[in-house]
Amino acid sequence: MRRLAARPRLRTIIRTAGPLLVMLLLGGCLFPPTPETTQAKDVFTLYVVVFIMGAVVFFGVEGAIVYSIIRYRRRDDRLPDQLHGHTLVEILWTAIPTVIVMFLFVWSTLTLTTIDAKSDPAVTVEVTGFQWQWTFHYLDGDNDPKNDYSVTGTPANPPVMGLPIGEPIRLILKSSDVIHSFFVPHFLVKRDVIPFPNGINPNELEFTISDPGTYGGQCAEFCGELHSKMTFTIQAMAPADYQKWLADVKAGKTPPPSGTPPPGAAVINLTAQNVAFDTSNIQVPAGKPFVIHFDNKDAIAHNVGIYQGGKEVFTGQIVTGPTTVDYQVPALPAGSYTFQCDVHPSQMTGTLVAK
Amino acid sequence: MATTTLTPQAAAYRRSWILEWLTTVDHKKIGIMYIANSFFFFFLAGILALVMRSELAVPGLQFLDDRTYNEAFTMHGTIMIFLFVVPVLAGFANYIVPLQLGAPDMAFPRINALSFWLLPVGGLMIMSGYLFGGAAAEGWTGYTPLSSAYSPGPGTDLWLIGLILVGTASILGSVNFIATIFKMRAPGMTLFRMPIFVWTVLVTMTLILLATPVLTAGLIALFIDRNYGGSFFEPSAGGNPILWQHIFWFFGHPEVYIVILPAMGVVSEVLPVFSRKPLFGYRAFVFATVGIGLLSFSVWAHHMFTTGVVFLPFFSFMTALIAVPTGVKMFNWIATLFRGSISLTTPMLFALGFISMFLIGGISGVMLAEPPIDFHLQDTYFVVAHLHYVFFGGSVMGVFAALYYWFPKMFGRRLNETLGKTHFWLMLIGFNLAFFPMHMLGIQGMPRRVADYSPDAGWTLLNIISTVGAFTIAISILPLMLNVVATFINGERVGDDPWEGNTLEWATSSPPPPYNFDTLPPIRSERPVFDLRHKHDREQLAPALTAESEASS
Repeated sequence: MRRLAARPRLRTIIRTAGPLLVMLLLGGCLFPPTPETTQAKDVFTLYVVVFIMGAVVFFGVEGAIVYSIIRYRRRDDRLPDQLHGHTLVEILWTAIPTVIVMFLFVWSTLTLTTIDAKSDPAVTVEVTGFQWQWTFHYLDGDNDPKNDYSVTGTPANPPVMGLPIGEPIRLILKSSDVIHSFFVPHFLVKRDVIPFPNGINPNELEFTISDPGTYGGQCAEFCGELHSKMTFTIQAMAPADYQKWLADVKAGKTPPPSGTPPPGAAVINLTAQNVAFDTSNIQVPAGKPFVIHFDNKDAIAHNVGIYQGGKEVFTGQIVTGPTTVDYQVPALPAGSYTFQCDVHPSQMTGTLVAK
Repeated sequence: MATTTLTPQAAAYRRSWILEWLTTVDHKKIGIMYIANSFFFFFLAGILALVMRSELAVPGLQFLDDRTYNEAFTMHGTIMIFLFVVPVLAGFANYIVPLQLGAPDMAFPRINALSFWLLPVGGLMIMSGYLFGGAAAEGWTGYTPLSSAYSPGPGTDLWLIGLILVGTASILGSVNFIATIFKMRAPGMTLFRMPIFVWTVLVTMTLILLATPVLTAGLIALFIDRNYGGSFFEPSAGGNPILWQHIFWFFGHPEVYIVILPAMGVVSEVLPVFSRKPLFGYRAFVFATVGIGLLSFSVWAHHMFTTGVVFLPFFSFMTALIAVPTGVKMFNWIATLFRGSISLTTPMLFALGFISMFLIGGISGVMLAEPPIDFHLQDTYFVVAHLHYVFFGGSVMGVFAALYYWFPKMFGRRLNETLGKTHFWLMLIGFNLAFFPMHMLGIQGMPRRVADYSPDAGWTLLNIISTVGAFTIAISILPLMLNVVATFINGERVGDDPWEGNTLEWATSSPPPPYNFDTLPPIRSERPVFDLRHKHDREQLAPALTAESEASS
């Protein structure tokens, strides 16, 4: 309890000293971005404490080295005093670093306890990392996944996660392939997204955002070819705005068209399995709308996009299998096109000919 | 005078120059081959670093595609660690340790040759993926399942086999060194009279012997997962990918000390010689070295704080604790300089560069040891900066200190001091330009191992500075290469003991004969050559002592 009482005062000191140091040291490049969650603010405080102690050690030791080099340069052939050691001094300089690192250990462990504390979350989002993007699936607690809002990004079109401020958020971090890591610099935190075997619960991350704003994030654990394209954005807003945002995105979400294709339209079957299409050649009638009956047998996200000369002609909605979807493709002029899965453009691609 | 006379053996028979080097079991020739081979790989991995820095200078992909970039940093890391820093220090140890012990050779000369020859074979195998559809591209840490089911192709298999060979070479070498140090010391050389470099090599080799077999087992398990349907690390079959990280870092953290301890040993030889004082607190230094070695096996999971599955306080505590013996060493070095008689020769400059740059790596290491801070900095450029301040600012500075310090012993000629100092200052400036901005990039949130970054991120200026620094380092290598060539052609011949050394390698000719010593001086301290040089001027040795005895008489 006494610790809690003492902390605000120390924080005040740090808050006064912090900005001064920020101005002094390279425009703040050695300090983390403005912390935007309550947890991040604690981490920032700890960082400032450790940084100041590190700076003191740095200037002290470098100073001693430079002083010795200048002061004790060789001037003659006289042999200096052959001092082999000094027990008291050696005990002292073993003890002092021990005390310093123990102090840092205690402070960091206390901070760790604070930032890892669990609470009852207002919003829970299941985050799935895959090669090479993210799916954000909002769990609304009614056990009916059909009503949930879910968004899947592509390397060219990263997803947005809308979140309310001032309320605890819980992310459940799952991977459908390799290890990724969910990292938001302004939250001063990352947590690995690991494909655990059955029986081990996925990692979770909890935080409470303090200010509205747009915060970029990206995958921090190297995950293969397009690792650097696994970016995303967090849109933090007031709780009322969040509810409106959620309703909007839910309403704006076009449900996968299904059932009756327009009469007379050609239906092309395309299956995705093991991160591969079942065919690399598709023929469609030119000048007529057609339907791609897409069967995603993988437990990860795929879609079908059609391109000509690198320009997008049609982009189907990304779906996580196993599921089927009917894409209504508008009429295409005669010619040769490429089709691909926008999530796995290097592995899943083929040629589409309209004639 | 108590001297030990060894009987010189006549050269058995004459062989051609090439055949002699290919079949030699002489620790000195093998040591030189280790060093030459390591520098060959250093240049290759250095070129890869320049390629990466060129790509990262500004946003957008200019020179490489993602895949090629990933291969570049994977090969850069693997080659620098396994085929440059570790073997080059093993090479100096190979040359110097038997000399410092007053021994005629290593305990097992043929095993010594075998452990050398496995290196170029393993190294070329690691890189040969480039000839077979692409080198390994999973990072030098090869995290599963990215390195198993998600990386088809022979590149990763070749990487695994090459590493197994290199690891085997290390294990064989470590047994050889430990046997040599325990069984081949000259009469009079007790353990606490061994040069500090030998002590650091002894601890290093013990770490290799305990840690490397663990990695080798892990590499074999991964090879089985990839090729024979194993599921050690395969989550879909019930394996756990985190197991790989435990195995890798149980090796990987001692590996950091395998790389830094011999360099600390070099620095602890160089600082006393050019301060003309004994190493301050020799015994404390030995205990600190052993302490670091022991602690290094209890900190591996600090590389895994963000996995969410390790007990953070334990690994945080042990990691913080390892700063204490490291700090003791730092203070011992400074106390060695204090009230010394300091000459700023090239090896001394590199040794001083070591202590001032390694300090920064140590401080950033303590920052990373706090889990909440690590949650922010892990896998960012801050870690890249930290590890380069340890490996480059530390180990590589130590390697160059060793090169300039022992070059006259190996070849009888001293490297040119002007070129050497040019090399040092260019490298020091380039190093800090290249790696200091990486701290800031990491703190601002730039992840490591990305081929590209957004122009809106605000990281461009720091990346440009870093790239300029990397090319400055590359330029600093030019005076070194010129220096080596010029010295071989027309270098200054400086006799057997140009630096007024303390340890036994300076008691024989430069270069030493195949059997190393005609005679050995008596060994009564850790500085037998110093004692021999100053045996007649006791009053100079200990003026205080003489004054005391005069006052009392």
